[in-house]
Amino acid sequence: MTTTEEEAAAAESSELSTPLDLLLADAGRNPVRRFVPGMSGIRFAAGLARRPQRVVKRTAGLGVELAKVGLGRSELAPAPKDRRWSDEAWAKNPLFRRTLQGYLAWGVAVRGLVDDAELDWGDGHRIGFIADNLVEAMAPTNNPVLNPKVLKRTLDTGGGNLLAGGRRLVRDFATAPRIPSMVEADAFAVGEDIAVTPGAVVLRTEVFELIQYTPQTPQVREVPLLIVPPTINKYYVIDLAAERSMVEHLVRSGLQVYCISWRNPDVRHAEWDLDTYGQAVLDALDAVEQISRQDKTALLGICSGGMITSMLMAHLAATDKLDRIAAYSLMVTVLDQERAGITSALLSHKAAAASTRASAEKGYLDGRVLAEVFAWLRPNDLIWNYWVNNYLMGHAPKAFDILFWNADSVRMSAGMHRDFMDLAIRNALVEPKASTMLGSPVDLGTVTTDSYVVAGIADHICQWESCYATTQLLGGTSKFVLSTSGHIAAMVNPPGNPKANFRTAEQNPPEAQDWLAGAHQVPGSWWDDYAGWLAERCGGERGKPRRLGSAQHEPLCEAPGTYVHDR
Amino acid sequence: MSTTAEPMTDDRPQPAPDRVRNVTVRGITARVSVRPGVGRHTHAPPLLLCNGIGLSLEGLQAFVDHLDPERGVVRFDVPGVGGSALPPMPYTIAALSSWVTAMMSRLGHRRFDVLGISWGGGLAQQLALQSPRKVRRVVLVATGTGMLMVPGSPEVLRIMSTPRRHRDPGYAAAVAGTIYGGTMRTDPVRGSALLHAATRAGPKRGYYYQLMAMTGWSSLPFLPLVRQPTLVVGGDDDPIIPVANPRMQARLIPRGRLHIYRGGHLALVTEADQLAPVVDAFLDENETHG
Repeated sequence: MTTTEEEAAAAESSELSTPLDLLLADAGRNPVRRFVPGMSGIRFAAGLARRPQRVVKRTAGLGVELAKVGLGRSELAPAPKDRRWSDEAWAKNPLFRRTLQGYLAWGVAVRGLVDDAELDWGDGHRIGFIADNLVEAMAPTNNPVLNPKVLKRTLDTGGGNLLAGGRRLVRDFATAPRIPSMVEADAFAVGEDIAVTPGAVVLRTEVFELIQYTPQTPQVREVPLLIVPPTINKYYVIDLAAERSMVEHLVRSGLQVYCISWRNPDVRHAEWDLDTYGQAVLDALDAVEQISRQDKTALLGICSGGMITSMLMAHLAATDKLDRIAAYSLMVTVLDQERAGITSALLSHKAAAASTRASAEKGYLDGRVLAEVFAWLRPNDLIWNYWVNNYLMGHAPKAFDILFWNADSVRMSAGMHRDFMDLAIRNALVEPKASTMLGSPVDLGTVTTDSYVVAGIADHICQWESCYATTQLLGGTSKFVLSTSGHIAAMVNPPGNPKANFRTAEQNPPEAQDWLAGAHQVPGSWWDDYAGWLAERCGGERGKPRRLGSAQHEPLCEAPGTYVHDR
Repeated sequence: MSTTAEPMTDDRPQPAPDRVRNVTVRGITARVSVRPGVGRHTHAPPLLLCNGIGLSLEGLQAFVDHLDPERGVVRFDVPGVGGSALPPMPYTIAALSSWVTAMMSRLGHRRFDVLGISWGGGLAQQLALQSPRKVRRVVLVATGTGMLMVPGSPEVLRIMSTPRRHRDPGYAAAVAGTIYGGTMRTDPVRGSALLHAATRAGPKRGYYYQLMAMTGWSSLPFLPLVRQPTLVVGGDDDPIIPVANPRMQARLIPRGRLHIYRGGHLALVTEADQLAPVVDAFLDENETHG
């Protein structure tokens, strides 16, 4: 397996298959609840009780299959892509082969029973989740006595792997999040080998630090770019290791780049809400205009940062200040949260209310709980994979910058969580004037600025079709770009990857699928396309500024600043 | 060469900027702020500051600002406090002390001076004992000798037993006078501001780990074994640490010296302009032995 493949696998494994609002609702409550079948379990049992002949058929089928397995005549084989069974012993050793086939037969039967109960969509989702988790947890690979790789390693190291693994287990499960660590705590050091693009903090407020990056070209575009990163993790997803940093790429394309680094709120900041964050972006905008001596700025919002900036754009439009924004970009952001009518099925008002109550009581939503919820959505990739590697094999997890960033979780203030849930439940951004930002009713149709909208085709958190809907909501001309890969890998898309490409089209028809049909594919990374798009809208070139900051905003410290270090 | 604090003039040397970073030592990631030494102090041992219970390194900013600008200063968040990761299990003062020396080695400081205030004073005493060759000089501010000390009033100890004052600004203002004394009695809002302005709150568990670490610990029997020159600083109106404690410490430490000031528990920060020069003068005294 080559490193790029591994990276791809790791990047894929950091993709999750549930919309953001659901994750937030889940994380607000006890994650254990997901494993309690509750009423769905009762309906599942009732569904089976009504169809006894099916249960009998399933059980008999399983019996026959197990008999075949015992005689060695079974044809069952794992999916060729499933890396868990890569060891030769699973195919060649009769005992291990029977173990594997018995497990597969049992898994098919369990999943089949869920189908047999013919539950409705919501119950099926919940029971299916529990059944999948049960089946994946029971895999013989997770058992030190049944995993040939582990047995070999135990023999090789004289049990040292289990000692080292035991130590790791205690360490990982002593503190939240109680999941195997996907990366070593010291795999990277922020400011040393990650988030290293040179710059300075030129403004620090209660809520954020504003980083101004040092120009790396003799000439720069007049109009600066302000980046508003997600509030759900640290900002440095756009400034990972050197050559994998979007910020670095934009700076080298001759732009003046500024970026917000959000403070990690704690219990004292419970009341911070959407308005607080909107005002923060406004403060940053003032500072950027003052430092660069411009009256226009290009604005870029990412994920939840994109929601904040969109509402702020509507506020600027309502107060006749929209001309302050030269160009507007959104990345992996969902504004229209209607997912073909399934919102109501999944995110009930009750769940949303319960989760906001829980965070209001605590003062914040803990990012580590969110990480746990994330992980249990894809237990094979995010739990059992590391269970075997860290605890049974006793290896350290591989150092991978995206996973390091992913593990560096932050809290979300209770007020922000409440406002987010409210927007999601009412899908309030779609309707003109259904929500407010800093006192202005939000109508996205009034935002007539040119926009650049990016989505990832394999994004499970912000489905690209939902991202596409943004082009129909905004009032200006939108360029929609569909990148390869998922939520994070779509963002971290450095040029030079031969497999990278993106799609774009001249027209934006109302339906996402029509757009896809009319789109053409461009090889390479969209980063270059984006830099070109910005260059067209960021004025002429001028000599680079002699220094960072200004008399009013003296540099306070070097990038990445201090807030990024808060846990 | 002994320096006293000269008045602030423009030709005063500029301090190097503080740099906040994360270092991972023995699997625990800690937030550290380092101000490198410049000028006369470029190669001198830096001063390691050990903060009070539940306080992040920002809490000491006022004191650092009043120190000799050329002096190197290292501040850190104790694991489980502020920006440092919560350790997987409770620790002892001895374990923390060994971890701190490992952290200082990681930062490239084989020798250093240490100043501890309040809870951090306990850590500083342990460091002095455990690493006699690494710790050059010791400053103990408003600190006791652990379990065997002259205790403050029960009411004060009750307030100190939870981290609520760090998490609730209103409560902090209400109790500041009672527990911190000194100028906090007349200006409790300042105390609240001090605990909240820029400090980072850690998890509650981190605070309780700190309390637990001190449980059963006492430096009293070992103080006669402390070899370093030690300055013991205490206030005459400190409800947490009655003034008998610093007097006792100074008497028991062979090379101990006493400095009593008029004020409360947090005077090192609230009256930093008066106390920082005292600390500087002590640290800059000629070393009589290597």
